[in-house]
Amino acid sequence: MVGLSVGEKHFIKGGIEQDLRTDGRKRYTYRPIYVETGVIPQANGSARVKLGATDVIASVKAELGKPSPSYPDKGKVLINVDCSPTAEPAFEGRGGEELSSELSVALQRCLLGGKSGAGAGIDLSSLSIVEGKICWDLYIEGLVVSSDGNLLDALGAAVKAALSNTALPKVQVASAASDEQPEVDLSDEEFLQFDTSGIPAIITLTKVGKHYIVDGTSEEESQMSSAVSVSVNKQGRICGLTKRGGAGLNPSVILDMISVSKHLSEQLINKLDSEIAAAEACEEDEF
Amino acid sequence: MAGKGAATPATYSPSLTTVKGKKKPPIFADDANWVRSDGRHFHQCRPAFLRTNAVNSASGSAYAEFGNTKVIVSVFGPRESKKAMMYSDVGRLNCNVSYTTFATVHRNQGSDSKELSSMLYKALEGAIILESFPKTTVDVFALVLESGGSDLPVIISCASLALADAGILLYDLVAAVSVSCLGKNLVIDPILEEESHQDGSFMISCMPSRNEVTQLTVTGEWSTPKISEAMELCLDACSKLAKIMRSSLREPLSASEE
Repeated sequence: MVGLSVGEKHFIKGGIEQDLRTDGRKRYTYRPIYVETGVIPQANGSARVKLGATDVIASVKAELGKPSPSYPDKGKVLINVDCSPTAEPAFEGRGGEELSSELSVALQRCLLGGKSGAGAGIDLSSLSIVEGKICWDLYIEGLVVSSDGNLLDALGAAVKAALSNTALPKVQVASAASDEQPEVDLSDEEFLQFDTSGIPAIITLTKVGKHYIVDGTSEEESQMSSAVSVSVNKQGRICGLTKRGGAGLNPSVILDMISVSKHLSEQLINKLDSEIAAAEACEEDEF
Repeated sequence: MAGKGAATPATYSPSLTTVKGKKKPPIFADDANWVRSDGRHFHQCRPAFLRTNAVNSASGSAYAEFGNTKVIVSVFGPRESKKAMMYSDVGRLNCNVSYTTFATVHRNQGSDSKELSSMLYKALEGAIILESFPKTTVDVFALVLESGGSDLPVIISCASLALADAGILLYDLVAAVSVSCLGKNLVIDPILEEESHQDGSFMISCMPSRNEVTQLTVTGEWSTPKISEAMELCLDACSKLAKIMRSSLREPLSASEE
């Protein structure tokens, strides 16, 4: 964590009040986003996203598994984030555990929707192979390699990119007697590309003083009183909301933050989509 | 366990007038005329039973029973911080939520207690005046005896009552309420069955007198007008719940005066 002198703190807060942050950005401007897909060939899908100095990697591994008894026609998705000590020495061993679990929970909330499956970014019923017996288990792992603020947004973008890069092998099910486990044949050619148009983007608004900024660096985030992360999908509907930070917020402020993030989400989603498409095109050119 | 019939405070029900006229047509799955299984209106919360001083050996404690959700919270402290902790000129808060093995329908299903512990911490940290007990730690231990839906809001409300019972300085009591979205309906204080079918959930914990929200989580797909509506509903319910919490804090005093 960067230590800040009193003068630096005043500088950051004053700048935000005047809509001119320390790196010259306005309050609602994102840092340049850099997306690279297919960085981990062994995984079913992967992506790396750089947001200024924040660097995260997301990977998707798919395994065959048994669906949960309460939802036999749905697959399972497990999201886990790991903060590597290369980002901060404080993350070594159990130090990063709290932050990792907070990020994992926030990602799950934003991407998996309500219990009945409504509003989910990923359609779980598309992951089912044989109802009640076999389904795909998706393990989405996020890794924080370098941390300079706004981890949740970067992880959300990385998961979106990794899922659009994911290719699930085609499954042939040999018919079997009703109580036997059916035999499954995985073909070597891949296809089932994921439809990621439903996946929302996560926007974190950090409140410093009376104003909110988007995409804060770790210095700016150390001055925050609270932060609200809103996940908005392409249709402009809110798919998840998490409030972080210790200070209380007036309800009208929260509603205002929601409308600001909805406004910003359009630009962000378009930017992300074009970056991901460019990255995929790049990857294909390599072969 | 005190009987439910004994001294139950009056039920608190957010006024239906916030719905601006129309009574919501019950559209839920296949049921044409869906009524909630316990007979409540969509905007009616379960009757709240709150008692302080449930555990004698703790600095402060509270027991809450909202329908089938039963929670007991003990507060210990302020007491000396653990060995290797750094000096801190503000107090520390340590929260722990655990489920008993018989709390859920299937044994040992309450496995997300780590997540609940951190959410409880976030809901309470904004309400406690940490500067009043530097170098020490306050431990909040919540035990869910029976999980009947809407667990976290009950845990938060009960914990803030226990903190008040322990004499910890608070900016205000924290009341929490959750709303479920089922189809087009907003249903407040859902039970377990309603929660498992929900399309979205909205949980808010706030300090009513200061009109400040300490914790807000939304899952599922929501449109902005729906969020405003849910927020209004919840804030109204929270302020009424806070009044009931205050009266349950005063009860032991009035009993001893007699």
